[in-house]
Amino acid sequence: MIKITDLEKIYRTEEVETVALNKLSIEVKEGEFVAIMGPSGCGKSTLLNILGLLDDPDAGSFIFNGIEVAKFNERKRADLRKRNIGFVFQSFNLIDELTVFENVELPLIYTGVKSADRKKRVEEVLDKVQIMHRRNHYPQQLSGGQQQRVAVARAVVNNPKLILADEPTGNLDSSNGNEVMQMLTDLNEQGTTVIMVTHSEHDSRYSHRIIRMLDGQAIMENIMV
Amino acid sequence: MVRNYLKIAIRNLLRHRFISFINLFGLTAGLTCCLLITTYILNELSYDKYNANADNIYRVTRTFNNQNGVVSLKLSTVSPPFGYYFPTDFPEIKKMTRLLDNGPIPARYKEKIINEDGMFFADENLFDVFSINVLKGNPKTALTDPFSIMLTEETAKKYFGDEDPINKVIRFNSQFDCKVTGIYKAFPSNAHMHPGMLMSFNTLKDSTVYGEEQLRTNWGNNSFFTYILLPPHFNPENLEKRFPAFLDKRMAGQYDSGKPSKFTKIELQKLTDIHLRSHTDYEAEANGDIKRVYIFSAIALFILLIACINYMNLSTARSALRAREIGIRKVIGARKKELVLQFLSESILVCFAATLAALFFTWLALPWLNKISGQELLIQTLLSPQIIIPLAITPFVIGTMSGLYPALFMSAFQPIKTLKGLFKVGGGSISFRKVLVVTQFSISIILIITTFIVFQQLHFMQSKSLGLDKDQVISTAYSGEVPKNYDAFRTELLQNSSFKDMSRSSRIPSGRLLDNQGASTMDGDSLVPVKTDIKYVSTDQDFASTYGIPLKAGRYFSRDFGSDTASFVLNETAVKMLNWKSPQDAIGKVFKYGNQNGRIIGVLQDFHFESMHQAIVPMVMVMTPPSQPYYNSISIKIKGGNTAQAIAVFERTWKKFFPETPADYQFVDDNYKKLYESEQRQASIFSAFACIAIIIACLGLFGLSAFAISQRVKEIGVRKVLGADVSGIVGLLSKDFLKLVAIAAVIAFPVAWYAMHSWLKDFAYRVNIQWWVFIVAGLLAAFIAFTTVSFQAIKAAMANPVKSLRTE
Repeated sequence: MIKITDLEKIYRTEEVETVALNKLSIEVKEGEFVAIMGPSGCGKSTLLNILGLLDDPDAGSFIFNGIEVAKFNERKRADLRKRNIGFVFQSFNLIDELTVFENVELPLIYTGVKSADRKKRVEEVLDKVQIMHRRNHYPQQLSGGQQQRVAVARAVVNNPKLILADEPTGNLDSSNGNEVMQMLTDLNEQGTTVIMVTHSEHDSRYSHRIIRMLDGQAIMENIMV
Repeated sequence: MVRNYLKIAIRNLLRHRFISFINLFGLTAGLTCCLLITTYILNELSYDKYNANADNIYRVTRTFNNQNGVVSLKLSTVSPPFGYYFPTDFPEIKKMTRLLDNGPIPARYKEKIINEDGMFFADENLFDVFSINVLKGNPKTALTDPFSIMLTEETAKKYFGDEDPINKVIRFNSQFDCKVTGIYKAFPSNAHMHPGMLMSFNTLKDSTVYGEEQLRTNWGNNSFFTYILLPPHFNPENLEKRFPAFLDKRMAGQYDSGKPSKFTKIELQKLTDIHLRSHTDYEAEANGDIKRVYIFSAIALFILLIACINYMNLSTARSALRAREIGIRKVIGARKKELVLQFLSESILVCFAATLAALFFTWLALPWLNKISGQELLIQTLLSPQIIIPLAITPFVIGTMSGLYPALFMSAFQPIKTLKGLFKVGGGSISFRKVLVVTQFSISIILIITTFIVFQQLHFMQSKSLGLDKDQVISTAYSGEVPKNYDAFRTELLQNSSFKDMSRSSRIPSGRLLDNQGASTMDGDSLVPVKTDIKYVSTDQDFASTYGIPLKAGRYFSRDFGSDTASFVLNETAVKMLNWKSPQDAIGKVFKYGNQNGRIIGVLQDFHFESMHQAIVPMVMVMTPPSQPYYNSISIKIKGGNTAQAIAVFERTWKKFFPETPADYQFVDDNYKKLYESEQRQASIFSAFACIAIIIACLGLFGLSAFAISQRVKEIGVRKVLGADVSGIVGLLSKDFLKLVAIAAVIAFPVAWYAMHSWLKDFAYRVNIQWWVFIVAGLLAAFIAFTTVSFQAIKAAMANPVKSLRTE
């Protein structure tokens, strides 16, 4: 599903050049659950951003579902992203001014789904993450675990092929964290590809494969059995 | 989608109530000012347009040239023979109609005596030319018979109360009985004149009133407002170029020294131009000025600009708070276009609310504007289609104008950075916002300076010594039965210790000096006409003493000298213009004025007869012989002390001597004040709008400083940890903004200087523009800016640094 080859990303300021990704090559197959680990600054988040089509690489190839997307412009990336990729962030990133229902509904609005269909699908996913009873609440009225469940619901409402999770349990206590990890596992079992950046060895054990990075390169892969 | 935008817009507005309030308040205040000024301007532009024939009606004006060919006088009125000959000499003229202001005249109905001030003689075809609604009587014939009058409803009520006025008789000047033949609706407030009573022009043909012969031959009485109706699309220049030949033919012999067309000129003035573009020496009523319309349009645009800039500043300032939302939307799949639309719909929503609120506040504020502008502005002016349609699209235009920049700015945020909290607004946008603040403050400083100088000039005009004592002098008309008993009245009144002096004159100080005849002085053995215009006032012996005008040389007219009717008194300016060495040198010189030969007996120190708009002109005081007195007014000087008591004595004595004439009087110092009423009003409106503009600009600065300081929270924290105190940090944060005010001042100073230099040119006597006004205005702006910024800066400087460092 994803194949990146010799991917490079360099951040330049006036005097300093930081190599975030250094000729990185990785392949992720459809239906896989991959964890990416490594110390701060090793390039994991940069990789996730490029995989999520939020950022573009300086060099190298990125094939998504058989299409070369490394040179896509912003509009094409946005189109591809909204139909194929769901995001889960460490800090949830819900819009404070929208209710739970409206937050989850938003991706459907941007993909042009009709109102009646939207309602049905939002209710389905809210039900699935067991947050239906809080549908009219605003994010500030929810606990961290509940907020992350809403974020997961929002990430999957469009039935994306790929979910990118950036330290999804980083702001949660262990019991809420486990719940979220279980949700990602369930989604993966239903066929969604999951790529997760994490510092947590515990969380990484939910994945099929751990890619360990250092200084912009993959240095080791652990296959989880 | 749009619903989602609006939903989030409304929730955002409610969530950030304070910023939303400032934003809405700024825009509403700006739009309200704009709407108020628009109402005023529309009213100014609407004068006389109520007439169905407005585009084809012209007023005939007359200009007089002196011996040197220089214009010495321009009047909006002409003499009656013009109206008499025009229709026959220019067959293109469809209609010609005239109005003659009679001036105050005592009018009596039963026991009611009123000094009627709005009586005009009017040609019987008046209603064929002007669209005035006749409510009672036949408009075709009501003004046909001599001694018939028509009244407005208000005038009729004044005399007859609820009685039917038709066929009632009003007696004028204890002499003429006139029958009411019709009632007309008062001329609308946006007409250039407002006669309260129309008397048939044919009355003037009566020899006891004026005489038919006079109407045909008196080229000297230029008091008749004369209007002509031309065919549609007729070019008035086609007539104007034939006027010189007309003058030379019809006025032949009127000027000794050449063709009449060399000394006088006739022009046509479009009816709809009268209110804003006519500045003749004599007008039916005080007119407006197109310049004022431009000035107020500029202020309206300035205020709107400040409000829009304000909105842009506050919106972009708030964008830092919304960066995360934008990031999320982008991640979820929003395209730039969708985000731009979202933010535009927000700003349009705010503008829509502001427009509605502005309409409401305009309605509330109109009575206030009417009070300070002396107008009768109506909110309905704004409800005409040519205003309501632009007004309906205003929210879209202003919303887009002021929302586009924040929308583009925000939609360009990098989603990863905003979500990671790495979001910082780039330097480029800060510069743009600085430009906006500099613009706002430049405008504010210009408004402060101009307001200041306008008030300085106003104060100067009202406090500059006039060279005469205008206080405690009352004036009243010298007409009707007054001349007969004047001497007895004067003797009795002056016996009362409340009164100091009393005099008669053709004109009184605070009026205009329009009367002019040729003067000659001796050159060798013969009298030679002088090239200078010398205006005259006919006075009796008591004029100089009543007004306390000091003599520079010689004496004033006196009862001790029998031959004073062949004597002249000049002012100093006249002496200078006649090239005499000194006032003393002028005494005893032979002088001819009009047809009267005599000698100069005195020179008065220069005094301001007219307003400060006019320079002091050469003047001659003449005393007409008792057999042909030419006086229009009485001036009475009251001794200091009990004015109310003196007025009571005056009224009592007046009634005793002149039972048929109401004791109407005015204080001369009030008349002087009225000369500057228009400037006074302009200054009040100006200062009110300037204040609003500055307040709105401050709100913008408030937003910008909040924004800039929020970007420096970490720096402030670090500085505090390292030992900086509150005052140091406030200074640091305020410095940047004060720099902007300094730049704004540098831009504003020359603009304000130029604007005021041009404005002051209209005054013969004016203040010098002083440098310290600019410094004070700059400091004031700096102080206002500092106060605004320091509010935020102190808050930031007092904050616990641990907190700000932790959030980073």
